[in-house]
Amino acid sequence: MNCEECRSTISPFLDNELDPALADGVREHLAICLECSAVCEDLAAIFDVCRADGEDLLTPPNSPALWRRISNVIESEVKPSPPQVEPEQSSRRFWRFSLPQLAAGFALIAVVSSLLTIIGIRAYSRPEAAASSLRSSAEETTMEKVLGKLGLISTPQQAREKHFAEQQKAIDYWNARVAMRRAEWNEKTREAFDRNMRVIDESVAQYTNILKQDPEDDLSAEMLDSVLTDKMNLLRDFSDL
Amino acid sequence: MSFCSKLFSFLQPAFRSMAVAALLTALALSAAAQKKFSRTYPAPNNVRLQLMNKSGTVTVEGWNRAEIQIVATLEAPAANVSPQNLSGTIVINLVKDNQDRGDIGNVNFLVRVPYTTMVDIETRMGNLNVSNVRGGLVRARISTEGDITLTNIGASAVSAENVTGDIFYDGEIVAGGTYRFSSTRGAINLRIPFNSSFRVVATAPTTRNISLGAFGGGGINFIGDGRRVVGKFGDGSATLSVTNQQGSISFFRR
Repeated sequence: MNCEECRSTISPFLDNELDPALADGVREHLAICLECSAVCEDLAAIFDVCRADGEDLLTPPNSPALWRRISNVIESEVKPSPPQVEPEQSSRRFWRFSLPQLAAGFALIAVVSSLLTIIGIRAYSRPEAAASSLRSSAEETTMEKVLGKLGLISTPQQAREKHFAEQQKAIDYWNARVAMRRAEWNEKTREAFDRNMRVIDESVAQYTNILKQDPEDDLSAEMLDSVLTDKMNLLRDFSDL
Repeated sequence: MSFCSKLFSFLQPAFRSMAVAALLTALALSAAAQKKFSRTYPAPNNVRLQLMNKSGTVTVEGWNRAEIQIVATLEAPAANVSPQNLSGTIVINLVKDNQDRGDIGNVNFLVRVPYTTMVDIETRMGNLNVSNVRGGLVRARISTEGDITLTNIGASAVSAENVTGDIFYDGEIVAGGTYRFSSTRGAINLRIPFNSSFRVVATAPTTRNISLGAFGGGGINFIGDGRRVVGKFGDGSATLSVTNQQGSISFFRR
């Protein structure tokens, strides 16, 4: 018999409920196993205490009276308390709507979310237009014009300004790179670079002036975008020479 | 006979000898200053040539052989040329191969390729010439100045771009193809078959000099005060985009 089998049979063993052969096995194991014998002694001591004082502990004095008290306590907790009538507060009145008001509110939410969805889908389905930021005023829908005036979306001019500012930042970056490399170039390379940069800058100045006079000249805006891209490419090409 | 005449006739043979000697010396020095590079690669079908030059002329010609022949003439100081054969693409990148060398001489390339080669060539300055190819792609780009000449081209995607210099295209407009020509200052001349069909957007904002020649039919509109021409010729299956910031655009019938 091992320790596990022994401990599972200690309780019936102490109650003399085991058959004699099994009880002999338990005795033999307890004789050789200190841990199991300690467990058996502890359990025997508990059983002795229970046998001696169990009756007093398990049977309370006047038990029917005790059960009645417990029952009363349970019933008092289960009964609902009478509703307290409070004066209606102004904040709660504020959130109480009539059916037409609720319907109108839902309709408004539906319209606004539909509009936002449409704008989102349109912006997503025209990535090249959004990327170039050079949509003309003529391409603007009435809804976009309204939203633009409300300041909810940027107008073509605002988008264009933002796009040119971003291009200028990139040009500044590549300009700095070129400035670092320039000393390494031979004279022929420097002259060719400067000559062609001047040609591009002429076009940049030309379209910038036209757009100052006529901000809605979409063709000039498109050309300015193109020459700024050319300028950036030229700088990038020469930054690794 | 005066003294001067006598002296001149006395020295004339000596002058002649000195002139011949100087010429021979100059030729010898010139030959010594130039180096040659030559290499040949077997070319599979639809091979791609990718060449980036720094300065000099690049000429690519189609030929009836299944190999790519690269011949380069290197002016002093001679650049490093290290072509690579990367699984169907021949790559020559002089900018990368000479990254830390600020001063290198012109490199003039003559590359012969199979007709069906895709050609992608670029240079920082110098002329680019491509002829007799009908692969899927012809791309020629000059970062600064130089002329681009594309003749007898049958590719479905063509792109030519420079800042200063002329662009000349003489080739097919393949149905469904894309053709893009862009210059800042120069003349763009396009010679294409009359039976081509394409949608065109041609923009010359400064000169407004857009000549459609035989292609100026009814489906063509001038917009933006004549700065741009938009139109459709034939069934319009190809796309043609031409932009010249400070120059002219001309179409010719092939």
